Amino acid sequence: MKFGMMFKDVSGALFKKPFTENYPAEPTETPDRLRGSLVWDPDSCTGCGLCARDCPAMAIEIEVIDKKAKHYQMTYHIDRCTFCGQCVESCNQGSLVMEGGEWELASLSREPFTEVGERPPLVVEETE
Amino acid sequence: MQPQKTEQFTVPIGPQHPALKEPSSFLISVDGEVVTNAIVRLGYAHRGIEKATESRTYVQNLYLLERICGICSHIHGTAFAMGVERLAGVEVPPRAQAIRLIIAELERIHSHMLWLGVGAHQGGFDALFMFSWRDRETVMDLLESISGNRVNYSANVLGGVKFDLTAAHIGDILKALDYLEERTHHYLKVVTTDASFLQRTRGIGTMTRHQAEVLGAIGPTARASGVLRDVRIEAPYGAYVDHPVTTITDDRGDLEARFAVRIKELFESYRLIREVLDDLPPGDIKTRVKRKIPEGEAAFRVEAPRGELFYFIKSDGTDIPSRVKVRTPTICNMTSVVKLAVGHQLADVPMILAGIDPCFSCNDRMVRVNRNNGSDGWTWEQLRQHGIEYYKQRSQDYDPLVVG
Repeated sequence: MKFGMMFKDVSGALFKKPFTENYPAEPTETPDRLRGSLVWDPDSCTGCGLCARDCPAMAIEIEVIDKKAKHYQMTYHIDRCTFCGQCVESCNQGSLVMEGGEWELASLSREPFTEVGERPPLVVEETE
Repeated sequence: MQPQKTEQFTVPIGPQHPALKEPSSFLISVDGEVVTNAIVRLGYAHRGIEKATESRTYVQNLYLLERICGICSHIHGTAFAMGVERLAGVEVPPRAQAIRLIIAELERIHSHMLWLGVGAHQGGFDALFMFSWRDRETVMDLLESISGNRVNYSANVLGGVKFDLTAAHIGDILKALDYLEERTHHYLKVVTTDASFLQRTRGIGTMTRHQAEVLGAIGPTARASGVLRDVRIEAPYGAYVDHPVTTITDDRGDLEARFAVRIKELFESYRLIREVLDDLPPGDIKTRVKRKIPEGEAAFRVEAPRGELFYFIKSDGTDIPSRVKVRTPTICNMTSVVKLAVGHQLADVPMILAGIDPCFSCNDRMVRVNRNNGSDGWTWEQLRQHGIEYYKQRSQDYDPLVVG
């Protein structure tokens, strides 16, 4: 039986820099796989809506405006998103990316937390 | 001469963070400083998750169930995913099983280190608390680099895992394990030799082997009383079939034994992770699972850091489960706290409670009370009337208030 078993750790720590990070004064390095807000690539999206169906937080809405012209609108509610990454997993076209997205998402209002993206309609040339 | 009338004095502890930062209520009857009776009341953090699973698809439920516990989130996801895979008759690729095991063991390391800190803090040993939590960050950083999240890693998908391990990850894990192993040796020495801390743990909350069996204790709490209870050995699942675990037991049953068992389990986790990384099977990390799960029932048991975690899943052939039942380890160990506290000093109660590594929001489940008058519960209006009467008795009149 001894006393002061942690004394060496405690006294040694007096001469070391704090272990905690000085965020936000000093920016933090984040791992490559850190999941941030979702990035949608409208060009490859087929509007199948699997991402919206599988989302556990109901954060994604896909609206098909014109199926023939491949005209879709995607609404992404960042404030509902839990960043689980299931939408990226469900997307068969690779149109969604979460890794490396924006993660510093603090805001004083709710407006920036709803992103609306649109895939422009294809121009179909009329042939006689 | 009439005998002196003795009065029982009851100390209410909680529901606002009793010892730990989660709500539960303890009514401790004391005679002087000595505890004579203890009553526990749970249910303050009930979230209705089991019911919520019945209106979500299997894929969505994976993430909902992961949020039952913030510390052992991966093992909840694993238990549910493996149960659904069993129902669907899907064989998960060996590489996915190995990655599930590695993340589960990393999770066990961070859970046990978290508990070591909490246990030390309850005993007033804040130096150990802070240094063990500093070293726990090593594991948290590893999990963040592998999965992208510090907690709720969402590593599981139905049919496998989301993330593969790269050579860089494996290098980082092995390096971190060497550091943690060295630190863990130090912590084991501290909790078994530091005189001031041993006064708080040696001979406190002793649970005999017989008591552990009768009270239905599980996990490290039972193993510290010499009961060999570990799902990884009794019913190996996933990669544990090929990589058996050596169970750590201790016969003493007191708080010191619980500290020793949990810290020694860390060494076993380090060994297991190294063994699996050494022999990581190549191949795919996921396989396809159909959205509609065939009709049937599945029960699945896994070993969470706190003990046996049980999942029951019933499918009616659609993509939404008809019933999911979860039994978390804390509920099994809670009776032991009530029994063991009797006869100890009141100051030892937080240590005894922390000794089982409780997680209150995990264990809060709905209880259905069958009344003698035939009705099986109260309506919302009856409940409100009861509330008004209750507060009137305490001279607070809420009757004029209009709710809703």
